[in-house]
Amino acid sequence: MARVKLTDVTKEYGDVTAVNNMNLDLKDGEFITLVGPSGCGKSTTLETVAGLTKPTSGTIEIGDREVTNLPPKDRGIAMVFQNIALFPHMDVYDNISFGLRLRDFPQEEMDERVDEAARVVQLQGMLDRMPSEMSGGQRQRVAIARAIVREPEVFLMDEPLANLDAKLRVNMRTELQRLHKQLDTTIIYVTHNQAEAMTMSDRISVLNKGELQQIAPPLVCYNEPANRFVAGFIGSPSMNFARATINDGQLDTDDYSVDFDATVVEELEDGDDVEMGVRPEDLYLADNREEAHDPSQPLGVETDVLEPMGDQIFVYLKPVGESGSGMGDVEERQGLLMSVDPDTDIVEEQSIEVVIDRARIHLFDMQTGDALSHGVVREAATAEADDGEAEAGDDGAQVS
Amino acid sequence: MENLSEQAYAYLLLAPAFALLVVIAFWPLFEALRMSFFADDVLGGGKLGEFTGLTNYVQLLTNNNALAPATFLDPSFEVPILQQALFMTLLFAIITVVGETLLGFAYAMLMKKDFRGRRWVRVLIILPWSIPIVIQGMIFFLMFRPGFGLLTEPLQQLGIFSSIPLNTTFDGFVIVTVTDIWKTSAFMALLILAGLESVNQDLYEVADVMGASTWQRFRYITFPLVFPALMVAMLFRTMGALRVYGVIESTSVGCTTLPSMTCLVTQLMFGSSALYGSAAAASVLIAVVVGLFISVYLVFIRRSDQELGPA
Amino acid sequence: MSIDAQDHPDSETYDEDEDEDRTRIQQWARDWIEHPNKAYAVMGVFGAGVLLTTTLFPLYWLFAVAMTPPGQSDIPLIPATFDFSAFIVIFQRIPFARYMFNSLFYAVSVTLIVLVVGSLAGYAFGRLRFKGKKVLLFSLLLISFFPPATLFLPLFQAFNQQIKMLGLFTLPVEIYQTPAAVITPISAFAMPLAIFILTTFYSQIPDGLEDAARIEGTTRLGALFRVVVPLSAPGVATAGILTFITTYVEFFFSFLMTGDQASEWAPIVNGVLAFQTRYTVRYDLQAAASLVAIIPVAILVVVAQEKIISGLTQGALKE
Repeated sequence: MARVKLTDVTKEYGDVTAVNNMNLDLKDGEFITLVGPSGCGKSTTLETVAGLTKPTSGTIEIGDREVTNLPPKDRGIAMVFQNIALFPHMDVYDNISFGLRLRDFPQEEMDERVDEAARVVQLQGMLDRMPSEMSGGQRQRVAIARAIVREPEVFLMDEPLANLDAKLRVNMRTELQRLHKQLDTTIIYVTHNQAEAMTMSDRISVLNKGELQQIAPPLVCYNEPANRFVAGFIGSPSMNFARATINDGQLDTDDYSVDFDATVVEELEDGDDVEMGVRPEDLYLADNREEAHDPSQPLGVETDVLEPMGDQIFVYLKPVGESGSGMGDVEERQGLLMSVDPDTDIVEEQSIEVVIDRARIHLFDMQTGDALSHGVVREAATAEADDGEAEAGDDGAQVS
Repeated sequence: MENLSEQAYAYLLLAPAFALLVVIAFWPLFEALRMSFFADDVLGGGKLGEFTGLTNYVQLLTNNNALAPATFLDPSFEVPILQQALFMTLLFAIITVVGETLLGFAYAMLMKKDFRGRRWVRVLIILPWSIPIVIQGMIFFLMFRPGFGLLTEPLQQLGIFSSIPLNTTFDGFVIVTVTDIWKTSAFMALLILAGLESVNQDLYEVADVMGASTWQRFRYITFPLVFPALMVAMLFRTMGALRVYGVIESTSVGCTTLPSMTCLVTQLMFGSSALYGSAAAASVLIAVVVGLFISVYLVFIRRSDQELGPA
Repeated sequence: MSIDAQDHPDSETYDEDEDEDRTRIQQWARDWIEHPNKAYAVMGVFGAGVLLTTTLFPLYWLFAVAMTPPGQSDIPLIPATFDFSAFIVIFQRIPFARYMFNSLFYAVSVTLIVLVVGSLAGYAFGRLRFKGKKVLLFSLLLISFFPPATLFLPLFQAFNQQIKMLGLFTLPVEIYQTPAAVITPISAFAMPLAIFILTTFYSQIPDGLEDAARIEGTTRLGALFRVVVPLSAPGVATAGILTFITTYVEFFFSFLMTGDQASEWAPIVNGVLAFQTRYTVRYDLQAAASLVAIIPVAILVVVAQEKIISGLTQGALKE
């Protein structure tokens, strides 16, 4: 167990900067997830911690030691890989004990440790199998056993569930959490799947284009995203965004207007543009307006496409009288996405009235994308000035 | 070593191999070029004389070096020795490469087929290629030895062979050519097989559906698609044929009867007077001839690649 | 042997039928005209037979010569007697076993050097990113085209301490007519093909395995030799076998860089040539010696034909 600290870590490949000035400080025993779209630098960051890649600049500490220039084997780490990476020419016992053998452990202790690791991942009785004779889930367990058998200070996991089928993935998610509780080891977990990140971690660090966007507990990232990128990346389906102009206590978009308390964004004046974001679950039918913390005035819209999911219905909304959102890209889709209860009486092409929960409207700077305000009414608002010291942790939001 | 960048680590791993190649291949190439500009030291002892520029080359091309060994090709000394060697080597290369390509193609088609006992057919095809050159030479020496060899007498009766086949240039040429084809067709077959196996098998099904005959399948699918691999194989073989030496020595035909270009170098070097400058010049000329052939092939290969487009 | 037995089940029966029956022949001809593929199949069997006979006959004839008593210059195609004494005499007349040992020693040494050095290079080419990869690969290809004769003179002189190696230093000892004078040049010439083959195999190992090994506690080189090489065992074996054969059959350096006495590390080349020049009347000995010298590679070919074929085809495809 150990804390892990990255200070100003930068990795360049030729002209490409894979990781730019990354600062992370993980507490002992923390489960932290690096999440972001592919190419965001999360795997490269993990590789620098593992020692598989040497950072162009910056330092890495594990425990009390600076390990920037140490080879992987001397860093006290273990790693689970996306493609599982079991040695196909060794049986399960040899795979698990590989690291112990390299360190000349006595046979007896090796047996003991391998048995214990096999028990933890429920692989008893399979030690003499070859990886090729096992299922994907079993192989992943072997890979995990191989990692825990050495009792590392830090666990690194590079998309360990990405190659498993959907059902198995959900099971393994739970198992990893159980494992973390049991072992109480610092875990750095890389994934592009925001749902995995949300469900498993103590804190999430969201990366984009090699830069840290936000590091905070999952719900903070969800409720108070540091910028437009985090807001759009965390949460499924994604947040609705619209350009809005401030106009005398109102946020005017092309299609509708919402009253708001202009004092939550004191630095903005009438006529300024902001990016306004609303999550689908923060839209309500006007009839259910009491469910919202602070409902806006009703907006008249027309339903477009319905997507019944079973536990909820996604409703695509379009301005009254328009022909629909067409086949455009999701990013460019006009209109709003709203989620409603599955038993709601609603059909396609129906005129309805909806309200927006003003306590849950996020405003972002048009240019920088930085969050300006979460909630647009005074009592509910968490002003931008507050969240630096609040839940976001020691590093706060790293916003470029 | 653990802290090297990927690039530095790669160079480190390549260092031993390229160190060996620099010592054994690149340096000697340039050294040979340098030596070729110095006069022969007739007194031997592995020394070179004065810097003489291109004199060695001029002497080789015009046969102006009285110390150079005579050959059977032209005892009268009128045809320059280099020209004889070049003529003999090129003729050998053309005949063997054509012969080996035809035979090799047949072998490759045979090896590709799946049938009972294929393993043993393959073994038999590869076997000659794995036999030491000197033993091949021995085999064919015994076969063509006058008054003894199985093939000598019939060939002599037909008037094709002279009474001393191992000492007659034409007969020696036939012997060496047959020996080389026997050995190297297998190698050619393996390279062509590589090409055959890379042909998409679906194409044959398409052809079958369209009613192509066996010959048409070969003519319109196999051959054009294998052509690039064929060119590569021929390139390899041509390079091998141009450096022919082992079969000449080991069949007892010998360099005096059949002076190949490589023979020229060893004759000049190990002959009665060690003509190192001339030998170096001859060795450089070999490299030039080989280089010319490579360029011609590369042009052909590139052209056929372009026709086929990216594979 | 039945070529295409599955496709043309009845082609065999035609072969077996030796009958001169006219209707039979007519039927045959009609059948062939109607089904030209059958004709091709039969021609294929015939062609294969011819090819294999020409391949095998020289070896058989060698055997026939070895069986023929000394002094007899008329070699019967089927030996009258089977006299294996020539196979013993060759070891008595000259130290033929030592010649064989020398050749095998060269082949094994070159194979080891090429596999170790070539593995490092093949790994770099197959798995690492670096500048100049294409240029270096191309220079390897060039070397396989170098005429040995061009390189021979400077090497010969440097090995004899007559000139400075690389123009920089005189070798501390004269290595002409020692194993080193044969092993180093052959290693260099066998290296490119081995590197091409190993590069192909190493590049096919899934990513992550070496990373896993390094995390588990190996060094970078440790990961190469503990994980990458064992996993590429078929490729390494192929490269090894091809290198072994290449060295064993080699003539140029084996002949010119060695003395001719077995005790001076002369290889089979000199052993066989000794029979050719010194014991000209004992053809049986020459043939027997040749056959004995073929045995090691013949065994290798029988055991490993699959690997030889796959290795050459893959190594060649890589260009």
